[in-house]
Amino acid sequence: MEISNSYSPYSSSSVDSTKPSPSESSVNLSLSLTFPSTSPQREARQDWPPIKPLLRDKLKGRRLLQRGGGTSFFVKVYMEGVPIGRKLDLCAFSGYESLLENLSHMFDTSIICGNRDRKHHVLTYQDKDGDWMMVGDIPWDMFLETVRRLKITRPERC
Amino acid sequence: MGASSTLLMVSHGHCLLCFSCLVTLIAHFESHLKPFLFFLSISLSLSFRRLSVSVLMGLRLPSKVLEHIISFIDANEDRNSVSLVCKSWFETERRTRRKVFVGNCYAVTPAAVARRFPKMRSLTLKGKPHFADYNLVPDGWGGYAWPWIEAMAAKTPSLEEVRLKRMVVTDECLEKIAASFKDFKVLVLTSCEGFSTDGLAAIAATCRNLRELELRECIVEDLGGDWLSYFPETLTSLVSLDFSCLDSEVKLSDLERLVSRSPNLKSLKLNRAVALDGLESLLRRAPQLVELGTGSFSDDLDQEALSKLAKAFAALKQLKCLSGLWDVLPEYIPLLYSVCPRLTSLNLSYATVQMPDLVDLLSRCSKLQKLWVMDLIEDKGLKAVASCCKELRELRVFPSGADLDETDVALTEQGLVSVSEGCPKLESVLYFCVQFTNTALVTIARNRPNFRCFRLCVMEPFAPDYRTQKPLDEGFKAIVERCKDLQRLSVSGLLTDKAFEYIGKHAKKLGMLSVAFAGDSDLMLHHLLSGCESLKKLEIRDCPFGDAALLENAAKLETMRSLWMSSCFVSFDACKILSQKMPRLNVEVIDEHPPETRPESSPVERIYIYRTVAGPRLDMPEFVWTIHKTPEIGVSNLAIKHCCGRFTFHTLYLISILFPLRC
Repeated sequence: MEISNSYSPYSSSSVDSTKPSPSESSVNLSLSLTFPSTSPQREARQDWPPIKPLLRDKLKGRRLLQRGGGTSFFVKVYMEGVPIGRKLDLCAFSGYESLLENLSHMFDTSIICGNRDRKHHVLTYQDKDGDWMMVGDIPWDMFLETVRRLKITRPERC
Repeated sequence: MGASSTLLMVSHGHCLLCFSCLVTLIAHFESHLKPFLFFLSISLSLSFRRLSVSVLMGLRLPSKVLEHIISFIDANEDRNSVSLVCKSWFETERRTRRKVFVGNCYAVTPAAVARRFPKMRSLTLKGKPHFADYNLVPDGWGGYAWPWIEAMAAKTPSLEEVRLKRMVVTDECLEKIAASFKDFKVLVLTSCEGFSTDGLAAIAATCRNLRELELRECIVEDLGGDWLSYFPETLTSLVSLDFSCLDSEVKLSDLERLVSRSPNLKSLKLNRAVALDGLESLLRRAPQLVELGTGSFSDDLDQEALSKLAKAFAALKQLKCLSGLWDVLPEYIPLLYSVCPRLTSLNLSYATVQMPDLVDLLSRCSKLQKLWVMDLIEDKGLKAVASCCKELRELRVFPSGADLDETDVALTEQGLVSVSEGCPKLESVLYFCVQFTNTALVTIARNRPNFRCFRLCVMEPFAPDYRTQKPLDEGFKAIVERCKDLQRLSVSGLLTDKAFEYIGKHAKKLGMLSVAFAGDSDLMLHHLLSGCESLKKLEIRDCPFGDAALLENAAKLETMRSLWMSSCFVSFDACKILSQKMPRLNVEVIDEHPPETRPESSPVERIYIYRTVAGPRLDMPEFVWTIHKTPEIGVSNLAIKHCCGRFTFHTLYLISILFPLRC
């Protein structure tokens, strides 16, 4: 059986940093190898390096600790329309409720998670892939690992 | 052996082969059998001319005698050889085999195994492919223990020991085990999942003669610590208990009482929830422990508690293995000094202490044979290990996560070079490192030609030799050239097809190979499949080889246990052809999307190919596709797959002609 010649022999310089999503992959014969060595997606990989789940969880824990030097993890918080931002230690909160309460107090307005509402500001965050997401969908621990900065948006924008 | 070969030189015809087989067999038997069988072979060969196959059969040993001889044979490899000699040996062997090992639970049906070995006392099974450990096998793929437990419960109720690796075990399975096997003694589950602490409670409550209950790195639905309380007061036979992978706290008083009434307890591995005061109380009750896995090692202790704990450790005169030590604080390391001089195995994978503390500890462990540690040990620490731990046989260095983001790396290839220099008995290594050099690999190979297992994980994929920017081909060439006994190898870093040419050419004893992000083309797979004679398990991910190499070497696949490939360039078409060509292989395509919807030549996501006499399995989830085969060649239930690494394929074939077997 012949090998189709339409894919290029692998070479280290041709690593693509985007993994084809399931909907795109079916016709892509030049399947770039899926490891993005330099993209920010690297941290999220569950199958490299090849270590067992228990050790992997331990690694995640350590990275979390290391960032804040042990017990703190500061992120920038901006409110839309306000040029000067604030900094907040996320480790000081036990969950989303205390975070919202504190933010509402800090910015002197009512802030909520999730559901769009004409009246309230909505809290969003930028994750490690660079995307802006609604706060509150994922478990708190997972949120702590992926959040990079926070933004309080005006209601109409969502 | 010399005398019988001389006699062989004189013989003719078919008999030559019979006797060479017989003598080869004899050579592999236990030494105390040799004289008996040697005599037998000489007396038989004296009248060789008149012997034909049927007469040889007529000279069979009385079955009682044969049974007695065979009962001395423990190793399954030898037993597999014995079972191939002739029908009566096959029958006698199968009736006396107590320990059954099945390396791939889908290679044979549970019913066939139960039928063949009615006196089974111990069953060891492996399920999912090895790469399942790294999340490469989707959930629900398979590896269910239930059909096996059900079959054994019906056919071999005197089963006493069950050891499962990478299988899905449900609470129903555990309950069935507890209810069906009256004299159940040993349950060891490694990397298993699917059960909860309720299942454990069933085992604890019902198995009156339980000796070993070990949960090694399992994923258990933890419904609380009550399960431990189900061990009845009458249970005093416990030898080993390992619940280190559970989260919930067990009741300390129950654990204390259990330990107190288990005078034979040799191995105790606690979970993280057991605090230091609990540990002290348990150690006081079990000073005879040989293996200990502590719980968390970071509570605040006052002076009195500390000295009590130190005393408890000092009383462990037989302790050889130590593990656990979660989050151990540096100031508690001295507590362990009293046991260090006797330790042969130390697992510090969860001990996040820095290099100076590690060195303090390890420099006292002169008898250490096995060390698992994090890369926090740094090159300096490994140098200390090289000078203090001269008995070291196995070293594993795991990544701590520190290096992935930082450029300042304190563990380099130099660490492994030092250990290879200083530890003459080192034979097994698993080393995670950010980058490597060819020179280091060549030096390591030169220092330590006795490697049996060499697994290097260069964490930066495609990382070349960071000094010369060349691929690591030459380095791995040195490893396979020098280490003639190499049985297991994992390669990484930038590698071209040349590396695999070297591996194919030199690694003749290699049984298992893991490859990731390597090679240039089909040649890499071709070199491996055509060169590595002893290859049993091959696992490959993210390498650019395709259909041709796979199809060309199809016959090789039936001599192997399994082949795993993910994110490579194999098309569904090739899978179809392979499956139809090789009836005794299961070709499983594991893909989110129906392969038929892909263009014919588009690569499939994952393929798992394994030899089997059980036919395609019936418990596949929707994302696993197998191809319908043409009418199968009749397969014998002799389980030829377990053969004898000691026989070559040709000898086997000839034996089956010379000694026709009716199954």
